[in-house]
Amino acid sequence: MNRLRGVSFVRTILPILAVIAIIIAAIVVMSGQPDRSEEQPEISPPKATAAFGNQPSVAGSGVVEPSSEVINIGTSLAGIVTKVYVAPGDQVSAGDPLFLIDDRAIRSQISEASAAIAQSRAARETARAQLATARQQSSLYSNIEDPRAVSQQEVIDRSGAVRTAQAQLRQAEADIRSAEAARARATTDLGRLTVKAPIAAEILSVNVRPGEYANPGGPQGGGGDPYMEIGNTAPLHVRIDIDENEIGRVEMSKEAVVSPRGQANQRVKAQFVRAEPLVTPKTSLTNSATERVDVRVLQLIYQIPSDQGFFVGQQVDAFVRAKNGARNGAKKASETK
Amino acid sequence: MTWIAIRMLTGDRQKFFGLLFGVAFSALLISQQLTIFVNLIERGATAVYNIPTANIWVMDPVSRTPDVALPMPSTALDKVRSVNGVEWASPMLRSGATVRTPEGDLEGVTVVGVDDATLIGLPKKFVNGSREALYEPDAVIIDSVGAAKLFPEGFDPIGVRLELNDRRAVIRGIVDVDPSFTSQVILYTRYSNALAFVPGTRNRMSFVLANASEGLTAKQVATRITEATGLKARTRDEFARDGVDFIIENTGIPVNFGITVALGFIVGVAIVGLTFSLFIRDNIKQFGALKAIGVTNNKIRMMVAAQALLVGLVGYGIGILLAAIFISSGASSSPDFKGFYTPWEIPLLTAAVVIAMILITGWLALRSVLKTEPAEVFR
Repeated sequence: MNRLRGVSFVRTILPILAVIAIIIAAIVVMSGQPDRSEEQPEISPPKATAAFGNQPSVAGSGVVEPSSEVINIGTSLAGIVTKVYVAPGDQVSAGDPLFLIDDRAIRSQISEASAAIAQSRAARETARAQLATARQQSSLYSNIEDPRAVSQQEVIDRSGAVRTAQAQLRQAEADIRSAEAARARATTDLGRLTVKAPIAAEILSVNVRPGEYANPGGPQGGGGDPYMEIGNTAPLHVRIDIDENEIGRVEMSKEAVVSPRGQANQRVKAQFVRAEPLVTPKTSLTNSATERVDVRVLQLIYQIPSDQGFFVGQQVDAFVRAKNGARNGAKKASETK
Repeated sequence: MTWIAIRMLTGDRQKFFGLLFGVAFSALLISQQLTIFVNLIERGATAVYNIPTANIWVMDPVSRTPDVALPMPSTALDKVRSVNGVEWASPMLRSGATVRTPEGDLEGVTVVGVDDATLIGLPKKFVNGSREALYEPDAVIIDSVGAAKLFPEGFDPIGVRLELNDRRAVIRGIVDVDPSFTSQVILYTRYSNALAFVPGTRNRMSFVLANASEGLTAKQVATRITEATGLKARTRDEFARDGVDFIIENTGIPVNFGITVALGFIVGVAIVGLTFSLFIRDNIKQFGALKAIGVTNNKIRMMVAAQALLVGLVGYGIGILLAAIFISSGASSSPDFKGFYTPWEIPLLTAAVVIAMILITGWLALRSVLKTEPAEVFR
């Protein structure tokens, strides 16, 4: 009977369906496999191998700074700022004015002192005239040969008048010197009111504007930015932090390779300048007030060639040459155990 | 002769379909439960596999999984970079935080801070937005499962402001990643932002992601890193495995699923075995007749094997298809099953189990047939 129906559902179609079901299941399973392939990052990170080939290196992070380091400009006299002569980015020579503090009070002191000088000079003239008169009168008396013709009293008075006139003249001269000294002091102060560049440098930041009050101790409250930051940016230096555990591996006085953050493909060779003699706690750049630090770093200073587009304060990733065959601290510790 | 065996088998539709059901059901149960088990414990590895760029993870020696990690000082990054053979290294921060949605709901989140410059550590697939959006101020990128958890369905979370540990965070993109075992909301952000989002402790950096230079395997470089820095370095697969092992060691999942899989096997064996041996016992007269006309025991074994294979093939086909469709449709529709897949080993394993099951029951049923006297037919 079944044979007459030709194709049996149970015996023919069902096994075929089963095979198809298995194939479909296999396809579903294989297409659903998770993608766990590895791939290269889209933005290239700094690479040690690109810096020195396969040579050993020590990595560190650093900040670009002027070769003079950043100079925070202060003022020696307090007062309202009336004029700012420079803008950020300006190049100044040593002695160029940076900003001016209100000088009216000092200028009036100068004219006061000048007036005092003039007054004292007038007093000196008066004293001179009196001295001349006194001398003439005194010589009139001293030319009389008969002592009985004039009283002794008169003679004493005349010679006393001469001495008084001489003293008044000296007094007037002293007054002139005093007034001149006062004027000189006021003139010096006038000069000090103009804050000048100590070295030839570039203006990095200007945080003072006309009308603001400048204090010799820096901005009030201790916090806040310095009035002006300047530094010699030709050439620029970079200050690289090396973990204290890695100090032994660093090959001093060899060049380093630095890349700005985010531009790992720009690799700049930097010349060794010096190593700071003091190992300091690492400066974290998160600016968190509660931050505590237990890592200490050696700071190495390198000079970067000009025209590489670096800016002061920019963070860099750096690779420094390591001594060949130098072992790491952790390794040494395990060996000496 | 095989043809006769097949006709014998399919002659009684009821018994035949009973056998099919038994095999199909146990194949479904075994493969589906095994799949869910494997996928569930692999949730411990998603945090590693979601990052396609790094093949080495460096961490404090006491860190165990992506979520059980002790942070390291920031110079650990430079130490790892200094190891010869490390192509590159970048920092990563993983930490828990609480987030408040505009509606005021509180939700625990995992904040992942990735390297500021290169964004290494960011997943590959974006549902919405782009990598570059992370450069915007206070930007975070949320995972798709987390977005579904935080916001009502059909809501576009791009541009929504969240309060993350008292700080402003703006959602700028959605990534498609597999959720972690705890399926917490994941917020990706830049490392410097993450430092601000996560309450400060002394050390902040959870991991250093690294890659091996050309010509060196990840394992070799990981060994070098451990030797040189004293930090724990694991390759991608090792660390994924660590996450899985952590779940196996710390949860009752393996025992529970082991019991279910064993039950599936026992139920399958019971149904198939009973039906099959009943079927053979019913047909004992026919086997006797066959013996009487001179069919050898080997021929009879072949016949029973053919019957067993047909039942096994059809039953397995039905069961495995149902299991595969269940998992793949579940993965595409429900966030609970997101990222679930059927490992290719499981259908093969199920097939082996089904074959073993069917052969064991066939062999047991056959014993009585082989002992049958040809005279049986006349009784």
